[in-house]
Amino acid sequence: MQSQSFGSRYLTMRREKIQYGIQQAKRNKVCYLFLAPYAILFFTFFILPIATSIFYSFTYYNILEPARFIGFQNYINLILQDEVFLTAIKNTFVIAVITGPVGYILSFLFAWFINELPKWLRAVAVVIFYAPSIAANAYVVFSLIFQGDAYGWFNAILMEWGLIEAPKLWLLDPTYMMTILIIVILWMSMGTGFLSFVAGFQGIDRSMYEAGYVDGVRNRWQELYHITLPSMKPMLLFGAVMSITTAFNVSDVPRILCGYPSTDYAVRTVVTHLFDYGFSRFEMGYASAIATILFLVMILCKKAIAGLLGRVGT
Amino acid sequence: MSELNTVKSAGTMKTISGKKYKGYLIATETGAAFYQKGNDKPLAEWTYPRLHRMDNIRRGGVSSQVTVILKDDSRYVFELDYGLKVYNHMDKYWVDKPVSPRTRGDELHRLAELRGEKIQVPKKHLITRRHPNRSIAGDIGIYLMLILVGAAMFFPLFFQIGASLKPLDEFFRFPPPIWPSHPTTDNFSDLFVTMGQSWVPFSRYLVNTVFITVAGTFGHLVIASMAAFVLAKFQFPGGKTFFAVVTTCLMFSGYVTGIPNYLIMSRLGMIDTYWALILPAFAAPIGLFLMKQFMEGLPTALIEAATIDGASTFGVFWHIVMPNVKPAWLTMIIFSVQSLWNNSAATVIYSEAKKTLVYALNQIQAGGIARTGQVAAAQVIIIAVPIIIFILSQSRILETMASSGIKD
Repeated sequence: MQSQSFGSRYLTMRREKIQYGIQQAKRNKVCYLFLAPYAILFFTFFILPIATSIFYSFTYYNILEPARFIGFQNYINLILQDEVFLTAIKNTFVIAVITGPVGYILSFLFAWFINELPKWLRAVAVVIFYAPSIAANAYVVFSLIFQGDAYGWFNAILMEWGLIEAPKLWLLDPTYMMTILIIVILWMSMGTGFLSFVAGFQGIDRSMYEAGYVDGVRNRWQELYHITLPSMKPMLLFGAVMSITTAFNVSDVPRILCGYPSTDYAVRTVVTHLFDYGFSRFEMGYASAIATILFLVMILCKKAIAGLLGRVGT
Repeated sequence: MSELNTVKSAGTMKTISGKKYKGYLIATETGAAFYQKGNDKPLAEWTYPRLHRMDNIRRGGVSSQVTVILKDDSRYVFELDYGLKVYNHMDKYWVDKPVSPRTRGDELHRLAELRGEKIQVPKKHLITRRHPNRSIAGDIGIYLMLILVGAAMFFPLFFQIGASLKPLDEFFRFPPPIWPSHPTTDNFSDLFVTMGQSWVPFSRYLVNTVFITVAGTFGHLVIASMAAFVLAKFQFPGGKTFFAVVTTCLMFSGYVTGIPNYLIMSRLGMIDTYWALILPAFAAPIGLFLMKQFMEGLPTALIEAATIDGASTFGVFWHIVMPNVKPAWLTMIIFSVQSLWNNSAATVIYSEAKKTLVYALNQIQAGGIARTGQVAAAQVIIIAVPIIIFILSQSRILETMASSGIKD
């Protein structure tokens, strides 16, 4: 054995490992059977499109002509030549940095507050907080509230109070658009993550709190940090993923409320930019490059948050 | 057998073969027995030394599910009306006392009376505190905050409902009223008139949407649950990686994959069929993700015991795992319904007769200023359905969730 070189030992180990893997796979045949229907559909409708998207990002492709390989040209153009893209990146970043963490923390706080309510009140509160995001395009009502003429409710109120003299174009004036957009997105931020938090709070074993009380947990904040948060880690990570998703994928709200394209590209986001190139100009290669960048950024964000959450409550 | 430590709770008993019996469980200091109504001989009975282990799936709440595994490997699942508190030390007796519709305090009194003792009744406080370690100021603060923010959250929806009830002249009044002074349902009836005049009857859109929603949700529930089950409860090569990929895909929005998805569907010949909407819904990553998270909390012992007993993997999945993850089902159903209902299907379906309701309503919205009222009415309808579905299922979710302290 001594005479065996490192390389051959490594190969033997490798082979044994693979053999063990195959053995395990054979023993768990039924698992693959269970997984198969989902896996096939998932591959067809999620993995394949993403792979196609990454592939096209290195090509020039306008659907009519066959795709032509152009290397990193799309990415170079995006970063060096496309000023609108930089605006879009800046806007998306502003929206994500504000609405992501704030929406996340608000969802958690309100789920926690709601959990202290008696059962029937809790049911009412959950519906009120969750309604804006479950009803997909409920935000359209903001185009009535922030209507640009004197018949718009917000304008009328401010004029009644004498705060402004003439109606303002809330949804068309770049000075206000971003603020309003952020308000609307925060209004919709009590989404899936929020629901998961509500469920998570109720799933925690009561006896843990009783034990905590005996052990000297004196107020609700200590209870939150030492008992609640550690038992809710899976929900917290899920909520974070959902927050990242909504924060980075903002596109419908600015498109419908502020028009498309928006004044001075004031609320153009990365996804609106992608929408523009993909669905209006049919520059699929270019749009795919945007998608790929967006995806990379989201994965990095998720990694960072998962790392942070790993340290909660320890 | 003394009356003192005997408890009785009505409910159902399920055997491993999946047969269900209605009756009641009587537990004493020395053992327990399950009787069917009007039958003197117990269906199942045992003394505690024969007990191998018990898993209390859901504690407290209005119902309680207890799995009892005996040393001879027979096992029963009890679904009881009263929450039975279970002691860990089984050498005494395993049932504490039923938390009946009466309060626990009443029960203590009843037992004390039987013993002939007297309990001193503590004075009732004006404000009863549910949690000992909560400050009143904090409670008040939380309530105030919830009321304020809740009102702010609800305002836009209220405004929307108000707008749908406004007659046309009130849209152009200064200052604009939040709630119309002469509410009318004209907008809704106009909407149906407009819809009725369209080329494809309104009911057709409705049938399409309902069909897509029901089919997509059902398939999603079964297929994703099966995958979630093996991912959560078995170790096999590739399982972890697969789940990591699904989690990552949770973040990709529909626009990002829109065009390649279209190309793939046209290759498969699914464009302009319901399959283009239903099949992707089957594989929605969010459902699998949620289901797997919930299933991981199920006691592994429960599954192992049933497997040793000879139940097939599918049997375990269908008879043991699925009944215990009802909260997750409902959550899955809601998400699936929500996304399918709101799907306007504009890109993958061309035939007018196959379009969905939301698409039809969007067409009306494109009608311009003269239809402001109708747009608001259409909007209310689109919003109302998912909210109503949520309200209806939420009461069940909260009920099941309240007692879902899953522990291994």
